Amino acid sequence: MPIDHKRINGPEESVPYELFARLSGITSEKTFEETQSANIRTDGRKFDEQRKIFLKNGVVSQAKGSAYMEMGQTKVMVSVFDPREIPNRSDYSLKGEIYCEFKFAPFSCPKRRLHQQDNEEKQYSSIMKKALESTVCLHELPNFQVDIYALVLHNDGSALSAAINAAGVALAEAGVPIYDIVASVTVGVQQGINFLDPTLSEEQMCQTQLTTEKFPNPNHAVVIISKLPMQQQLCQFHQTGYMSLDQLKSALELLTKTCETIVPLVQKCLLSLVTNSIKP
Amino acid sequence: MSLCDAEKTFILHGVKENFRVDGRDREGYRPIELETNIVQHAFGSARLRLANTDVLVAVKLEIDVPFPERPFEGKLEFFVDCSANATPDFEGRGGETLAAELANILTSAYRSPQTFNLKKLCILKGRKCWKICVDILILECGGNLFDAVSLAVKAALHNSQIPLIKSINIDGDNIELNVSDSVFDCEKLDVANAPVMVTVCKIGDQCIVDPSLAEEQCSVGSVVVAISQEYFSTVTSIGKGSLHPRTMCNSLELGQKVGIRLNKAFMETLHNIQPDEDVGFLK
Amino acid sequence: MAEQYKTLHSAKYYRDYLKNDIRPDCRQLSAFRPVIINVDSIKTADGSAIVKIGRTTVVCGIKAEICRPKPETPRQGFLVPNVDLPPLCSSKFKSGPPSDQAQVLTQIIADILENSRCINLEQLCIFPDKIAWCLYADIICLDYDGSLIDACALALISCLKVVTLPEVEYDPGLDKQQVNLEKRSPLNISCTFVATTFAIFDDKLILSDPSSEEENLSAGTLTVVTSDEELCYMHKPGGSPLNEEQITKFISICFFKLSVILRNIATY
Repeated sequence: MPIDHKRINGPEESVPYELFARLSGITSEKTFEETQSANIRTDGRKFDEQRKIFLKNGVVSQAKGSAYMEMGQTKVMVSVFDPREIPNRSDYSLKGEIYCEFKFAPFSCPKRRLHQQDNEEKQYSSIMKKALESTVCLHELPNFQVDIYALVLHNDGSALSAAINAAGVALAEAGVPIYDIVASVTVGVQQGINFLDPTLSEEQMCQTQLTTEKFPNPNHAVVIISKLPMQQQLCQFHQTGYMSLDQLKSALELLTKTCETIVPLVQKCLLSLVTNSIKP
Repeated sequence: MSLCDAEKTFILHGVKENFRVDGRDREGYRPIELETNIVQHAFGSARLRLANTDVLVAVKLEIDVPFPERPFEGKLEFFVDCSANATPDFEGRGGETLAAELANILTSAYRSPQTFNLKKLCILKGRKCWKICVDILILECGGNLFDAVSLAVKAALHNSQIPLIKSINIDGDNIELNVSDSVFDCEKLDVANAPVMVTVCKIGDQCIVDPSLAEEQCSVGSVVVAISQEYFSTVTSIGKGSLHPRTMCNSLELGQKVGIRLNKAFMETLHNIQPDEDVGFLK
Repeated sequence: MAEQYKTLHSAKYYRDYLKNDIRPDCRQLSAFRPVIINVDSIKTADGSAIVKIGRTTVVCGIKAEICRPKPETPRQGFLVPNVDLPPLCSSKFKSGPPSDQAQVLTQIIADILENSRCINLEQLCIFPDKIAWCLYADIICLDYDGSLIDACALALISCLKVVTLPEVEYDPGLDKQQVNLEKRSPLNISCTFVATTFAIFDDKLILSDPSSEEENLSAGTLTVVTSDEELCYMHKPGGSPLNEEQITKFISICFFKLSVILRNIATY
């Protein structure tokens, strides 16, 4: 790898210390078995229960709009800047554009992230862009680009959903015309159980295939959707893993229902924004 | 390509009547041509033409070290290159976003061990494994790129041969691998479960598969579904526009139905390929 | 009306205020903004701190990894500080490689660390010439509203004070190491450093702890860093010259601020 002259570099090679830890013997299979038999998740939630959400707008004074969202331990910040002319474009475009950048802070995950955007972050950026493109009234911003930056400070699962939710609030605060507020929820699926709003360890468990002898059901997946609640439209849908049509439909139903619970929180946040701006 | 309103209405009405501009019904594919083993220095290759969409895929093998957190597995990587010849939009850095999107969807579709078993690529636990690099070159863009790419990748992987390793000598940190002397001592990859992608496009109130460039213009929203057997390995919405949850369910059903059929026909064709013979198949 | 006046004649707007010995945010010229420090809220890091100075927000997270020491310094580990100014924190910055300002800041923070000698890198060595700790300290600005060196330095030192490292057993014969995650111990930090920034407005007025607007309008800034009893770093980019007397005054202010901050840090 080429040396990054613009940063201070450490030793050529370093490895996470967790690799040398004594094996705790906790495998995805065991965790799943325990969760299944107890019928309750490791953090004491029911399968279809969300974590507590904290949402605050106006956290970055230098940005036009910004929001901070906590979902359990997951912490995400999003800021939105004034629309600017689309850079490096010679022809006039009738529709505006969205630029999204999703980044994990180096210390936000169990394994250290590098400063450059990796493939996962690029994919998340494009999923986020997809969700927001259908949310923003792009025809009202001809030849303009809206920049949206998301930074995950602590990733404990469902970080992308948190970022999309926060981005919706930040867009509203920035006064960018949008069709509707946007609500996003993640679900993890393993063996026919839907883990709503999964933590990072649950997300990882849902991305692996458990041993087939013990668990014959091959379903395992993570599904993320974003919805415009008033319009009843899905503005983004992403699934990865391995799942049957029936399972996918039940997950979709659960997700669309759960999106509604995000709406009052966003509304409350925006309402306080309006009342604060009216008060002298 | 830009269409006027009249042209769009014409396409829209055609879709409604289940009789599309080129004579297909809503679930029909355009003709597909497939050639395999055409790149001499690759371990496996395929070129696929779906009407005007042209894709070339080459597979290369390398010896690598497994990821420390997954010592029993090999690696599979996708690289997409959008040639500037394919469409004027790809000039300069224009194709990069699409290339990244294609590579991401492929990675996501092949992630589950149910679709492609990476454990078979492990040579020595935690020390040595095979890394499969799939290089995808988009030569021409005639709509429905995702489906064409997924089929071409599947064909190229089917065509690939992994050299057999005769013996492993371990001496402290040095590992010596002995590859069989005969070039014919090879193992084929199992691609029976490798996902095929189907792009479902909503035009008017109906959903269609395999949209042409003109039809892609009329679409209000598209979903790419990757089908492995009858299971979904990846579903992702692409392009601008949103869908109602009910439409989403319909698209998923349609995608699954077409995907299973497409996979069956494609697997049959792959098995019918004789060495040193070019085969095209029409549906 | 005031809003338009501010955007059109920002320098004059400030001068009008400063004539009356007050700043537009109601601070006295020598007043500091309130400081908030929050530690250990990010559980994925081995230590973390969030610092707010007024609206300026900086987060620092330290992640430890295992590596091999350099052959020149077989008994030392590594501490790698990096300051990141992402486009998220201000419209001044674009995405891509670190901006000039970020590179300068990174270097300043690294110099402060070295000059203050607050951490002895030998405690990061697990077995000489074989295995050592590498601490990656990533300092990210979340809201850019001036006096960034102050915030970065404070975030880094607060973070270093709360870092805990797991115990490692190393067997030189087998060249194998085992990490005991349950048993963690803190680092030994020998001193605390505090940075204080002043802006020099119109060659004569001195504004302490300037906001980003004040920094832009000022001809130059001065940053003084003190650690315990000593002066460990000074940075004065641009602008008007200062005499000895003024600088001595700044240094004494900085020592005073250090004592206040030390009292606060001691409570957590």
